[in-house]
Amino acid sequence: MSGVDAMNTIDQEELRDAARRLLTDKVDRRAPWGEGEADGRALVRDMVELGWHLLTAPEELGGLGQSFTALAPIYEEMGRALAPATLADTMAALDVISLDDSVAGAALRDRLIEGSAHIVVAECGSLGPRIDTTFPLLEGGLAATHLLLLPTAAEESCGIVDLGREGVTATPVETWDRSRSFAELALHDAPCERLQVTGGVAIPLVRAHKDLAMAWDSLGAARRSLDETVTYMGTRQQFGRPIGSFQALKHRAADHKVTLELARALAVHASQAYALRDGAWSDLAAQARLLATDAFHAITEDSVQMHGGIGFTWEFDCHLFLKRALMSDILNGAPELVRDRISSSVIARALRRE
Amino acid sequence: MREDRKVTDLRVELRAWLAENVPKDWRTQQAGDNIEGFLASQREWLSRLVKGGYATPHWAPEWPGGGRSLAEQVAIFEEIARADAPRMSLFFVSLYHAAMTLMECGTPEQRARHLPAILKGEIWCQGFSEPNAGSDLASLRTRAERKGDRYIVSGQKIWSTLGQFADQCLLLVRTDNSGPKQVGITFLLMDMKSKGVQARPIKQITGDEEFAEIFLDEVEIPVENRVGEENEGWKVAQVTLSSERGLTLVELTERLALSLWRLVEAATANGHEIDRLDVEVRRRVVDIASRIEALRAMIATLMANRMAGREAVGDASIIKLAYARLSRDFTALGLRLRGMAAQRDTRYVLGAGYETGNWMFDFMNSYQYNIAGGSNEIQRNIVSERVLMMPREKLA
Ligand SMILES: Cc1cc2nc3c(=O)[nH]c(=O)nc-3n(C[C@H](O)[C@H](O)[C@H](O)COP(=O)(O)OP(=O)(O)OC[C@H]3O[C@@H](n4cnc5c(N)ncnc54)[C@H](O)[C@@H]3O)c2cc1C
Repeated sequence: MSGVDAMNTIDQEELRDAARRLLTDKVDRRAPWGEGEADGRALVRDMVELGWHLLTAPEELGGLGQSFTALAPIYEEMGRALAPATLADTMAALDVISLDDSVAGAALRDRLIEGSAHIVVAECGSLGPRIDTTFPLLEGGLAATHLLLLPTAAEESCGIVDLGREGVTATPVETWDRSRSFAELALHDAPCERLQVTGGVAIPLVRAHKDLAMAWDSLGAARRSLDETVTYMGTRQQFGRPIGSFQALKHRAADHKVTLELARALAVHASQAYALRDGAWSDLAAQARLLATDAFHAITEDSVQMHGGIGFTWEFDCHLFLKRALMSDILNGAPELVRDRISSSVIARALRRE
Repeated sequence: MREDRKVTDLRVELRAWLAENVPKDWRTQQAGDNIEGFLASQREWLSRLVKGGYATPHWAPEWPGGGRSLAEQVAIFEEIARADAPRMSLFFVSLYHAAMTLMECGTPEQRARHLPAILKGEIWCQGFSEPNAGSDLASLRTRAERKGDRYIVSGQKIWSTLGQFADQCLLLVRTDNSGPKQVGITFLLMDMKSKGVQARPIKQITGDEEFAEIFLDEVEIPVENRVGEENEGWKVAQVTLSSERGLTLVELTERLALSLWRLVEAATANGHEIDRLDVEVRRRVVDIASRIEALRAMIATLMANRMAGREAVGDASIIKLAYARLSRDFTALGLRLRGMAAQRDTRYVLGAGYETGNWMFDFMNSYQYNIAGGSNEIQRNIVSERVLMMPREKLA
């Protein structure tokens, strides 16, 4: 089942094909599990070269003026490829600075559109003109040129730190999930420029954008994991027949498929809602993220079991997916916290019988 | 997705009609009502819908109320659900299964005889399942012998919804044993008042007597009541089984979504304040709410694909499984939240579907969607073999 996308001029399936071609070409998902490590800087350059960062930038600024739904197939393909880079922070930041009229915002927007800025986003407490703090684990922290800081105090305006300037050290951090690249970002008296847009405006946008990006990433990876598992079960023979003919395994695979399609349906719907900032877009994005990471987690967890001994090996790829899933589960807040974040408004909507 | 003007207009008109016509107090009135009361209110509701022109949107255009697009049919089901109108349980098989079978496969005489009668409230049941033919329906054994211009039918049908109230029955019988089991099945229309027919209600786990077993002892059925050719009834049965085209799920999903508040009500019934609710309870409500929202999106996509003629194999099975599991988890949570009060609350509303608000009844009833119309296990076979293309198992 695929979604209908009437909002954009660029065909979603063309975008998907282009993304798949690039990622097939450039991402060797085994690389970080041998001698190398996930770095992602090269892939970020490739993505910029293809102009993905322009997709949702306003046309009058040289962008392509598409809505969020143009990014969905790209995020999904990145998950499918286990891409070591992230695009979501940059694109979420663009959603925020598109609303901003400050000098710093305009400058960053220009650089972003020109392709020379790559952004990581972090929520923080109060901001001063100089920042002294450490972010212990930021995805994409090595590739980033700027840090967008979102104060949780609703009235306070957001800040930008140029990571190329003094007082900034980014150190790679090794995690069990090697399919992504993480860094510790230490700021010592690093200068921070202020935007006009407030944390109260920016945080819901960034959270929703990143929730949806995570949903699509998880859906792409989960589907790949399920497909590969199903293929394996069709070839592995035991008791004189393919193990995929055993109903105990088939029915689990079918249940995973249902869970995946259910999550996908919500991701399509929530992406359209976010693109239009329509209805309960912010809850829906979080809900789509929950269903997708839950499905991803369940599928990859079972995938190891359905492979038997070979699934338990470093050599075989089951664990690549499982480890990405375990990280996706908690990367932007544990699922329990996401549930807690939205429960009041979900319950209020239920009582309004929407 | 933006909606067709025609559909939007229909919604406006229908909302006004529903505001006038939905019996205001049907839930209170039917709570604890006896079966006669239920039958009477269903008849009254059908006649209003027929008069309003909303009972038969799926019928061919030459019939009253017919000729509506699938998009309009979906809108009608959604609006009826949103208005919290009664379901049309008593007449669903008549309006959908019987009428569509006759429209697609029946003779002009059969249509002329039954379709006007259905509009006036003729009740039909579906006599497919047998004690030894459930999931493996094609192994059915009720025998029909041709004698001149009649079939003589003997055997037993079971689980026939509302069979004890039915005037007519869509009957599958075996007319030939020599070939593969799907060949040799014949589709007949049977008058339930025929000599030799005995329908005996079966009490369900809910306490309701909603389905029946039907005993057939040398029942004579005129050959003119056959639908399709002799021994080719299996094809006709597929038409019957797909006649509602997903509309039931449209309605049920919408009703489920609009009864989410009942979960919150169940959680707060013991005097808990909403914002003091146990955090685990709140999380589980969020999970159910998310799955409902996803199911709504999924059914909307399925119907859109259906309208565009690009439905994929197995889509319907995926949705049915998603709905079936959700209906069980939803009601299980409500039951858990309501606690001992649910154990003591033994009154329920006939004909309200599973979202009666009586959690034990609703939970018990949710098995229906997990068993009937192709059980979850059968749907999983379809999804694994026909969607995921896993190796098929050879079945007898
Ligand atoms: C509320 C209700 C209303 C109904 N209304 C009607 C009606 O109006 N008319 C009518 O004709 N019928 C009706 N039915 C019957 C319904 O279609 C059957 O119950 C259904 O097809 C299952 O058949 P069965 O009950 O014989 O169970 P069985 O087929 O005996 O199944 C028992 C268990 O075995 C599993 N199973 C069976 N085959 C397989 C397989 N190949 N692989 C894995 N597992 C398998 C099933 O999933 C189930 O869990 C109704 C049933 C219910 C519950």
